[in-house]
Amino acid sequence: METIQRNQVKRLGRMTQTFLSKPANLILVVFLVLLTFLTLYPLLVLIFETFTVHSGREARAVGLPRGSYTDYHFKRLLFTLDDGGAMGVTYSNSWIQFYGPLLNTLSVAFTSSAVAILFGGTVAWFITRSNLKYKKFISGVFVFPYIMPAWTLALFWQSFFKNEFIGTGTSNGILASVFGIYMPEWFVYGYFPISIVLGLHYAPFAYILIGGILRNMDANLEEAATVLKTSRMRLLRRITLPIIKPAALSTFLLVFASSISAYSVPVFLGSPVRYYMLSTKMKSLMDTYSGQAYIIAAVMIMFGIVILGINQKVTGSRKSYTTVTGKSSQVSLVDLRKWNRPVAIFLVILMLLIAVLPLITFAAESVIIKAGNYSLSNMTLDFWIGTNLTYLDQGDSTGILLSGKVWKALFYSLALAVTCAVVAGTSGMLVGYAVAKKRGTKMANAVNSLAFFPYLMPSLAFGAIYLAMSVRVSWLNGFVLLALIGSVKYLPFASRSGLNAMLQLSGEIEEAGQIVGIPWWKRMTRIIFPIQKSSLLSGYLLPLVSCMRELSLFVLLVPTSNTLLTTMLMQYSEKGWAQFGSAINLLIIIVVLLINYLVNKLTGASIDKGIGG
Amino acid sequence: MPDIILTNVTKRFGKFVAVDKLNLNIRSNEFITLLGPSGCGKTTTLRMIAGLETPTEGRIMIDEDVVFDADEGINVPPNKRDVGFLFQNYALWPHMTVKQNIAFGLENLKWPKKDIEERVDELTLMLKIREFLDRYPSELSGGQQQRVAIARTLAPKPRVLFMDEPLSNLDAKLRTDMRSELKRLHKTTDSTFVYVTHDQLEAMTLSTRICIMELGKLMQYAPPLEMYQSPANLFVADFMGNPSMNFIEGKAEKTDKGVRLSSGGLSFAFTPNSALEAVPEQAVIGIRPEHVLISDEGGCPAKVYSSLPSGLETTIRLSLGEMMLTSVVFGGLDFELDSDVSFNFVPNQAILFDKGSGNALARGSLELV
Ligand SMILES: Nc1ncnc2c1ncn2[C@@H]1O[C@H](COP(=O)(O)OP(=O)(O)OP(=O)(O)O)[C@@H](O)[C@H]1O
Ligand SMILES: [Mg+2]
Repeated sequence: METIQRNQVKRLGRMTQTFLSKPANLILVVFLVLLTFLTLYPLLVLIFETFTVHSGREARAVGLPRGSYTDYHFKRLLFTLDDGGAMGVTYSNSWIQFYGPLLNTLSVAFTSSAVAILFGGTVAWFITRSNLKYKKFISGVFVFPYIMPAWTLALFWQSFFKNEFIGTGTSNGILASVFGIYMPEWFVYGYFPISIVLGLHYAPFAYILIGGILRNMDANLEEAATVLKTSRMRLLRRITLPIIKPAALSTFLLVFASSISAYSVPVFLGSPVRYYMLSTKMKSLMDTYSGQAYIIAAVMIMFGIVILGINQKVTGSRKSYTTVTGKSSQVSLVDLRKWNRPVAIFLVILMLLIAVLPLITFAAESVIIKAGNYSLSNMTLDFWIGTNLTYLDQGDSTGILLSGKVWKALFYSLALAVTCAVVAGTSGMLVGYAVAKKRGTKMANAVNSLAFFPYLMPSLAFGAIYLAMSVRVSWLNGFVLLALIGSVKYLPFASRSGLNAMLQLSGEIEEAGQIVGIPWWKRMTRIIFPIQKSSLLSGYLLPLVSCMRELSLFVLLVPTSNTLLTTMLMQYSEKGWAQFGSAINLLIIIVVLLINYLVNKLTGASIDKGIGG
Repeated sequence: MPDIILTNVTKRFGKFVAVDKLNLNIRSNEFITLLGPSGCGKTTTLRMIAGLETPTEGRIMIDEDVVFDADEGINVPPNKRDVGFLFQNYALWPHMTVKQNIAFGLENLKWPKKDIEERVDELTLMLKIREFLDRYPSELSGGQQQRVAIARTLAPKPRVLFMDEPLSNLDAKLRTDMRSELKRLHKTTDSTFVYVTHDQLEAMTLSTRICIMELGKLMQYAPPLEMYQSPANLFVADFMGNPSMNFIEGKAEKTDKGVRLSSGGLSFAFTPNSALEAVPEQAVIGIRPEHVLISDEGGCPAKVYSSLPSGLETTIRLSLGEMMLTSVVFGGLDFELDSDVSFNFVPNQAILFDKGSGNALARGSLELV
């Protein structure tokens, strides 16, 4: 009896040992535990918070002490449809705080996804399937809006179109002051510009995903139809579109999910006219009724999960479509003939408008002294390199390039971005490796889903939860806290590109090394990494760039608003220090573009490899 | 030199049983072929012995050492099993030159530089890839890549060499050439080969013993000629040989001398060489095409349905009423369609199978009555 038991224990021990001696298993176990703590636990905290009484106003409204259980938040946010009212207007808290913003969010997400797909998809078609001129320029500049912070376009839109008659209307933008054109409010603020700006920001998604399919699509498919004298339009409708449909749908859902949690764009383009989306509403409730804010966060996460589910269904069942082989030798390009030049010029101008003009605008905004006056006599470089600028009345007395504060923040931002990139990129690579190795097992699926989960967490809500967590864990603060949340938040990008890279590599490539006794780390560094270098490095580049321009994730967690360049920018723009703000904005954009360019040139890694896969 | 012993090795993918209670004993210096239709579990078996796949149940021993035992939780990693593996698609490292591909494993084993040089020299000479040493795999033809893969696998002098359909990507001529190379290689390297293929001719010509599988189960394990001449069951009988065996299927009755089989309106008498215990109700009698002899007279009459001369031999389809029989005649003969011929069965070459179980029951002589 006893020997049997002893044998069993021995056997179990040996089995555990062999199980863990396989690096893929070890990685999965480690990340299962880590990610459960870093993503599922925060989610539980979030749900817990929706039933908890928080400070001040909440405690007074509920009539219970802090920390007690309550369903008040749900009642107040979701079911207070009629509060009575005053002066003949019924007032509904639920409508104002939740259903209205929800409706806004959905319509914005819907429109921006459509814009992204139509715009990105069309350009992708022109680039991959036609003999369009200036392709190189267009495709190079097209990903700019994604690399640049999302608010760049929003700020640009605002500062270009705003005028004194609309919104908070303090001053005229370039269009009004230079050309005397006054745009209507719906054009400058609210639903329309938010949708367009988000759509443009995410269009590179569509461009990369759909372009990838189009590029790899077997030209024979189209040629076969051309031989049958099918017209171009018919060809597009019957052959090309059905093939890109899954990628388009996938893009639609991804953009939809991202738009739902977008924060900075609606802040700049919605809040001035009290046009709220769930994200902005959540932020404003966070300071007063955080219980309700947490409910909004939970709703946003729920949307994300549902969308991810649909996405997996769609791409899963249509897999055969998306992996059209790239065997064909010659891709015949559609001759645009007389349309070539007009289309090319139109696209080039559009690219200049959305990618280059913002930079020029920020540059201009950062040198004018009095807002709205773009004459040379009103310009100065003081905001960049001036000293003793007491006359400005903008807090700081030195230009940003001479300000120790700015350099410190730049250094801090860079250090944070590099740390997040190293942690997220390496983790993503390991997760991708282990998931690809153990594909189909329950544990691999669990880790894969967990690693993607942070993508669904709205940054702001994620930040809020980590804030709550940091109160309970003493070492979790300052740089460590920021680096941790950044790494977790950007893990999805890295693990996706890691997984893609590993899936492209047949398992036998590694096994061939394994069988001759090459140890695991050497297989990774000498075989796997060199072969898939550029794809894997893209898994580092995406977190690096994203982190450098991140605002909403960190805004609740930074020790002071001077800590990061982005939070500094936020603070300046809240205080209305437009010139300093523009200068810092330009600085961020330049740094981000520079990093992207350098990494791309040195290693061949690129953003599109990371998202497209 | 190792013996490899598999005991009740089973592999399940979820509910699907890929390999079912496999028992196999491979002696040292053998050239064993795993043969069977696509999806029968050949690759899985090979990978389990090599340690690349973990069996669900069972026990594997290599050279007296237990390398896997599900009950005791033993699982020795592949690199400690001293085996070489030649992958179906070569799996050459694309970022390394031919030389680096071959030498990388040896460097890792801490071989002295001089020895590595010598080994690379030796192998590239033997496999005729000397002139490609500094090329990358993508700059080689399929056959050349294959030889590089063989060189890489052989380099550390593994005791056992596993090969998963190594010739399937090559054209017919190169395949024949490589077959003789492999057979020579087996002699010169003095190691045990375990070879996977679904080409029965390859299995016949190369191996010392064939292990034939279907749906994850072992069907027969025997030397090639024995397997050809005395298939253990219908599956093996049908799988081995091209053109395939004739099967006559019908109701069986016990008679004084043996068995009477009625099929397609005809009646056959089967006389077993040894005593038959029981006769199944439904039986199948198999006879190879080369044992159906065509003569001008003095046999059973039949009509020529088709005649396919290949020069070396001619395959003839004979029709006997509703029944078809295949016959092979050696030499460059041709027959008129629909002409009348007669045929005889070579004595002692027919095999009686139980239709239900598929198992062979007896060998004997066949006659048409
Ligand atoms: N990782 C896996 N997950 C699920 N099923 C698998 C897996 N690997 C193999 N199988 C299944 O196990 C069975 C045996 O596969 P195996 O690769 O051993 O076949 P094979 O005999 O080598 O076939 P082929 O001649 O086509 O290479 C197949 O039905 C296959 O679908
Ligand atoms: Mg196989």
